[in-house]
Amino acid sequence: MTTLQAVSPRRRRTDRIARGLLLAGTIVALVPLVLVLYYLVKKGIGAWGIDFFTTDPSGRFFGDPGGIKSAIVGTVLIVALATAIAVPAGIGVALYLVEYGKKSTFANVVRYFVDVLTGVPSIVFGLFIYIVLVLGNVGGNFAGWKGSVALALLMLPVVTRASEVVLQLVPDSLREAALALGAPRWRVVARVVLPSALPGLVTGSLLAVARAAGETAPLLFTAFAVKATTLDLGTQMNSLPIQIFNDVRQAQDRLVERAWGAALTLVVMILLLTLIARLFQRRSRLT
Amino acid sequence: MRKLLALVAFGVLALGVAACGSSDNDNGGGGSSSASVPDKGGSLNGAGATFPQPVYDEWSARFKDNTGTTVNYQGIGSGGGVAQFTAGTVAFGASDSAMTDDEVKAASKKGDPVHVPSVLGAVTVSYNVDEVDKGLKLDGPTVADIFLGKVKKWNDPGIAKQNSGAKLPDTDISVCHRSDESGTTKLFTTFLADYSTAWKNGPGVDKTVKWPTGTGAKGNDGVAACVKQNKGSVGYVEQAFALQNNFKTADVKNEAGNYIAPSLDSTSAAGVGLKIPTDLRFSAINAPGDKAYPIASATFLLVYKDMCKAGQEPAQAQRVKNWLSYALGAGQKVAPELQYAPLPDSLHTRALAEVKGLTCNGKALK
Amino acid sequence: MEAATATTRGDRSVLERSPLARLPDRALRWGLTLLAGATLALIAYFIIRLYIEAKPAFDKFGVFGFTFDNNWDVSKGIFGAWPLVVGTLITSALALVIGVPVAVATAIYIVELCPRKLRQPLSMMVELLAAVPSVVYGLWAVFVVIPKLLPAEKWFADTFSFIPWIGGGTVAGPNYFIGGLVLAIMILPIVSAISREVVATVPVEQKEAALALGATRWEMIRMAVLPYSRAGITGASMLGLGRAIGETIAVTLVIGNAPQIGNHLFAQGYTLAAVIANEFGEAASNHLHRAALIAAGLVLFVLTLVVNGLARAFVIRAERKQGTRIAPEGAGA
Repeated sequence: MTTLQAVSPRRRRTDRIARGLLLAGTIVALVPLVLVLYYLVKKGIGAWGIDFFTTDPSGRFFGDPGGIKSAIVGTVLIVALATAIAVPAGIGVALYLVEYGKKSTFANVVRYFVDVLTGVPSIVFGLFIYIVLVLGNVGGNFAGWKGSVALALLMLPVVTRASEVVLQLVPDSLREAALALGAPRWRVVARVVLPSALPGLVTGSLLAVARAAGETAPLLFTAFAVKATTLDLGTQMNSLPIQIFNDVRQAQDRLVERAWGAALTLVVMILLLTLIARLFQRRSRLT
Repeated sequence: MRKLLALVAFGVLALGVAACGSSDNDNGGGGSSSASVPDKGGSLNGAGATFPQPVYDEWSARFKDNTGTTVNYQGIGSGGGVAQFTAGTVAFGASDSAMTDDEVKAASKKGDPVHVPSVLGAVTVSYNVDEVDKGLKLDGPTVADIFLGKVKKWNDPGIAKQNSGAKLPDTDISVCHRSDESGTTKLFTTFLADYSTAWKNGPGVDKTVKWPTGTGAKGNDGVAACVKQNKGSVGYVEQAFALQNNFKTADVKNEAGNYIAPSLDSTSAAGVGLKIPTDLRFSAINAPGDKAYPIASATFLLVYKDMCKAGQEPAQAQRVKNWLSYALGAGQKVAPELQYAPLPDSLHTRALAEVKGLTCNGKALK
Repeated sequence: MEAATATTRGDRSVLERSPLARLPDRALRWGLTLLAGATLALIAYFIIRLYIEAKPAFDKFGVFGFTFDNNWDVSKGIFGAWPLVVGTLITSALALVIGVPVAVATAIYIVELCPRKLRQPLSMMVELLAAVPSVVYGLWAVFVVIPKLLPAEKWFADTFSFIPWIGGGTVAGPNYFIGGLVLAIMILPIVSAISREVVATVPVEQKEAALALGATRWEMIRMAVLPYSRAGITGASMLGLGRAIGETIAVTLVIGNAPQIGNHLFAQGYTLAAVIANEFGEAASNHLHRAALIAAGLVLFVLTLVVNGLARAFVIRAERKQGTRIAPEGAGA
């Protein structure tokens, strides 16, 4: 029996170099993450303090610049409203596609267009809402709820796509068993399909919320920005991404420091949401 | 474990909501006030130039202490200010350059626009070059050539000629300019066009021009940030911004032939001896006068003569008038603290007259 | 037992439900159909409205004139978006050149080479890149990346100035290269995630066959994995391209906002998305300017549509080849 040809030193070298390069590539991919988090903490934590979270930006050129209270409140409110719009709608469309739309052309068209929507740049959403709602003067000028609508448009395809995947993973046998036992369709959906898919649905929705919380462009010309905290979604509202965006372009050091602090706050919020989403995902029996 | 995390998440959200008090906008019953000002409290929206934003922000804070009215001023550039004023989405606009005839025509659909000059400010030529001290002498043609991209290095002979004895480094010049429609740009380009035909025929004079070179940034603050972050850069920013950031500013040659540093005095000097038309749409660029800083001018607050007819509520119109009265009254004493020059007497009188003439549906305001 | 044929009043079988009991089912079905239809209508309205608002600009300059004229001059009211289109393409191309090799390397490493225990943590870390919002990347780029890279950029421009388009001008802080670099970081998660899925679904037999023939690890990857994954990786890259084209906030902070075509790698430029973000405020009462910005948005939209459509075609082709569904998780679309 002939022995297997030994691997030549040249080939072994190529192998080692290639594997080294692949490892290097992976490390290179992680370097920005480490750097971003490092600088966020290093430069942002200095801005944190009780005042930072409980006072509004003062807008004063000299003197105390204030904190980011109105931005945090604004983000929470605007994103909450956007979620309230996008999540039910997204899950609803996904339900339609999975339960009733496996073969119909209409469903395929809907699916295609929802896919199209995922690729739309966020600024185009903002532009659309600006044209339709702000310039059209629907209920006043700039308003927090208009920002929410723009964000909801952005979240809708994400929620729909994620929910569709999860709902499809519910085994048909479960559905058929329920139907065979005489349950009406709506009962099957409400009592069998949705509960099984729930963790996955929550994951998808939370990830969409995390994404929306960080978006700036859709809010640029819809919610605008004011300094004072307001709970009225019908008026202009501040938000964390807009506050950061404005402060980044300032020359004064203390305003830049506030930008870092706000950025750290925003990233912490998003990471928490992502973490909770992943935990739900782990709990899911389906994925 | 999961429950703990959920609790933490809710805690973070609750912190945000709990930490906020009720909305800051409550009408009526403003703060303590010694001035008997009608229609206290409430809020006003204004938008426009970033050139005077430092002083407007300071005025807002003090005005709120006096009358309880909150002034929300957005620095979006003079172009934005004129646009929002014309569209009627703000109670008052602000612009460094007077509205052009076309702009006045567009605005006159709602009523007669009134220009109320508020303060005088100076456009500095600020630079960030370690080896060069403050007070680099530059004349109009040189500044134009820098912004045209013809003068590319700090040790260019054109600069060296005016600054004999200064050690100029062989560094590239990076230009910082505005990316948005800006009255400051219009003032600056007016100055450049006066001294450079290449500029006049090229980018020209306007709130926004086609810059041959450089990085664009939004607002005076954006240009200040650009200058601050890039070594070897030069940009044009209002004096308050240069002072805030300890910029080195150039001594610019004025019409009388003297190199003048931007300061409160040289800014005030620019306001003296000007010919001002009846509608107060003037520019003080290249003012005559030995000590006048050549790139200084007034900045304007824009309101409609009959605010109610233009769509304002009577109480709102009154608040706008209060704001303007403050600006021309106590505000004039606050301005020098931020190195903005108060209006010269003759101009001040005429501005007051304009404000007095504001009406609401034909009736005079208090 | 006569179960199947037992009837009750009205010739209805006992197993059938009364029309009243069927009502909730009907309601659910029609409700959801309506919702889906409304979504469709919204998207259609979205596209139509965008076009209507952009029409004045297209009327004045022509669709080709608007897209390909190299002159964006707001003060003179001339809106030719070519510098913006070029800027968008340059930064996105740079993002691909820098980002795709790194993303694919990461994908291959995670799937093929790394110790099993590290797989989850490494994947999660790459996904975390997607959790950082655009504005935070912009902040970091402006205050950390630009200052730290400037000396290196200057050195690079000087040393390689003989290559056209590398040298030849003042190296400014914000420029095309930084824009491309930041975009590369931002598209890493999505390109890597999809590439990972593609690489993971290469049939084991192919890989084992290569190894059995005496191939080294790398050779196995080169012979068995990469050819199989080509279509999928191309699709992943195009999805990344689509994302890069539409990115606004991070880019506008680092691109220099100069509405010209910069003539070297380290020159300032502008992109379609950035111009909309910067100029919308002044366009409130200037109808032509506003139409021009919306037209720019429409061009942007069409570009992303085309790119994403191509991406989808590639990914579907890869799915068909492997008989599996490549579905990235809900985030990072």
